[in-house]
Amino acid sequence: MARAGGITNAVNVGIAVQADWENREFISHISINVRKLFDFLVQFEATTKSKLATLNEKLDILERRLELLEIQVSTTTANPALFNV
Amino acid sequence: MEVEQLKLENSSAMTFDEVSMERSKSFVMALQELKNLRPQLYSAAEYCEKSYLQNEQKQMVLDNLKDYAVRALVNAVDHLGTVAYKLTDLLEQQTLDVTTMELKVTCLDQRLLTCKTYTEKEGLRQQQLLAIIPRHHKHYILPNSAGKKVHFSPQVKMDPRQHLQAKPRLYPSGTPAAKTLSWHLATETKSTLKGTSRTFMSPEEAKGSEKASAAFNLLDEENTRKKSYVARPQSPNVGPASSLAMQTLGVTRQSALEGSKPLTPYRSFDNPRREIIRAPNRSRSMLSAFFVKHKAPKLKTSAVS
Repeated sequence: MARAGGITNAVNVGIAVQADWENREFISHISINVRKLFDFLVQFEATTKSKLATLNEKLDILERRLELLEIQVSTTTANPALFNV
Repeated sequence: MEVEQLKLENSSAMTFDEVSMERSKSFVMALQELKNLRPQLYSAAEYCEKSYLQNEQKQMVLDNLKDYAVRALVNAVDHLGTVAYKLTDLLEQQTLDVTTMELKVTCLDQRLLTCKTYTEKEGLRQQQLLAIIPRHHKHYILPNSAGKKVHFSPQVKMDPRQHLQAKPRLYPSGTPAAKTLSWHLATETKSTLKGTSRTFMSPEEAKGSEKASAAFNLLDEENTRKKSYVARPQSPNVGPASSLAMQTLGVTRQSALEGSKPLTPYRSFDNPRREIIRAPNRSRSMLSAFFVKHKAPKLKTSAVS
């Protein structure tokens, strides 16, 4: 009876260990995927920042050109006699 | 995502601003959903912990927890992907809008530039039409002849003070030219050339025909002397001896007489057919001086006869 009990205990321990190993494997899979998700987010942030910086620079240049155009148009409209042929 | 794309395709009649607004709205919604996942995951984790502690069937709770974790992770990844896609699409649209704006601004710049160049050209054209810009320095322009042609006539006296335009003088053919300095010089050269052509021989013939030319020249001299003696009335007091002496001294006397003649500046030019005596005599004086001594007896015999 003792031997049967010991055998059952060993089997239970073995099953427990196997379950533990499965759980650990599951946890490792989850953690790896989460890390992959984190890396994707970091990369996405870098690319988005660069795109936003270039867009900001283009907008600044465009704004300056528009200001210059506005001044030029105002000076030309101030003297309408220039266009009288 | 597919439903949203279908919605966008169906709303093709919408304006550009409305489409951009829809895109921005969808991005904002996706971002909001991603943000809402955090409290949901926190609440699910607390529930699983309490149920594992309180419930007796721990294995079942553990299996449910594993399934829920996998689903939560998949849901989170799905939401993050949606947000990233919408943000990238929005940025591309904004970049495209900025590029089109740049093109429009460039077009406006070109229009302004064309307008400026047109105004400048028009201004220059008007200035060219109105302004009379002298091409020559005023030093060379007459005061009253602005744009007029000035005709010069030979009778007009040329005032050196007057500043004349650069036009050549034109004398009409056949008409007597004004007696200018150049004209006088030209006639003098012609006359001298004619005179010297009789006396001066070519170097090739000079050696062989020197004697003959000298003889001919002497004969001409004799003729001229005879004419001069005939023309000039001899003094009654002069005898034959004196006449012979006169003959011998005829050359010198003739030359002296010729030298005593009044030298009018234009006499020679009035009669182009004048007998050219001076230049030849000057050149022949040396020769005649040599030959007079030898032919003195001949002259005596001819005079006597």
